[in-house]
Amino acid sequence: MDHSHHMGMSYMDSNSTMQPSHHHPATSASHPHGGGDSHMMMMPMTFYFGFKNVELLFSGLVINTAGEMAGAFVAVFLLAMFYEGLKIARESLLRKSQVSIRYNSMPVPGPNGTILMETHKTVGQQMLSFPHLLQTVLHIIQVVISYFLMLIFMTYNGYLCIAVAAGAGTGYFLFSWKKAVVVDITEHCH
Amino acid sequence: MAMHFIFSDTVVLLFDFWSVHSPAGMALSVLVLLLLAVLYEGIKVGKAKLLHQVLVNLPTSISQQTIAETDGDSAGSDSSPVGRTHHRWYLCHFGQSLIHVIQVVIGYFIMLAVMSYNTWIFLGVVLGSAVGYYLAYPLLSTA
Repeated sequence: MDHSHHMGMSYMDSNSTMQPSHHHPATSASHPHGGGDSHMMMMPMTFYFGFKNVELLFSGLVINTAGEMAGAFVAVFLLAMFYEGLKIARESLLRKSQVSIRYNSMPVPGPNGTILMETHKTVGQQMLSFPHLLQTVLHIIQVVISYFLMLIFMTYNGYLCIAVAAGAGTGYFLFSWKKAVVVDITEHCH
Repeated sequence: MAMHFIFSDTVVLLFDFWSVHSPAGMALSVLVLLLLAVLYEGIKVGKAKLLHQVLVNLPTSISQQTIAETDGDSAGSDSSPVGRTHHRWYLCHFGQSLIHVIQVVIGYFIMLAVMSYNTWIFLGVVLGSAVGYYLAYPLLSTA
């Protein structure tokens, strides 16, 4: 399966780099016993439903009203949908650019002194070709968006988490349908 | 919140009611997360196999109808059995999307559990991923 590596690392980028200004080691940083019991619970560690004073990714982006939460819900939903679409688009782009196969024939001495033609078939992309550069740029965008989605899920806000999950599901439904039909027609020898 | 791995018997995982404060509770939580990681790997393989199965079982009627549509008309010929197959395929794809949502949510839950920075939880997740991969991925090649 060519998309198994997408499934693996796309949602479990567990290297969370949080802003150090939130967690000043003022209280029990070097205390040996358990986490999550410092005096200021600036970062929630359990799921909650609310829309008051919700910080979202950037320092200026704070949600305080229900209307802002609804807008954030829609934005996160669209971001998750875009992420799924980007994954499918990269796969189809990769498959399309690998259709161009290079044949390279070279004469090779045969067993009886005859000359045989040996044909090398090269499938894939060159490093400096435009499809590969495009794939790299899209890969960077995909990594950044996946980290953003992880950080959004890390706010532990129930509404935003539901938006991420629903957006991922809807994006998969809409874009993978197209992929399934395209794969079905072009790869007829299963 | 500590930003380094610690060995501890107390942790609160994901929800307010899931607070662990004893070795037995910690062992149980580690077991639950291990099974969750096994389930995650299994769902990954299951989704791939389901997609492959759908593409194998329903290719001819859909591709015939799509080729007929691109050729021109003749959409009226034998539309009812193809329409039923189309409907079944949409249902199958909707089921796959639900499985995808479950996979996304489980993946995020595992990430948040590891974010508690508890070493036992982390080891449980890693072990569960290993066991899940070991059990599930051979099933991928036997299509």
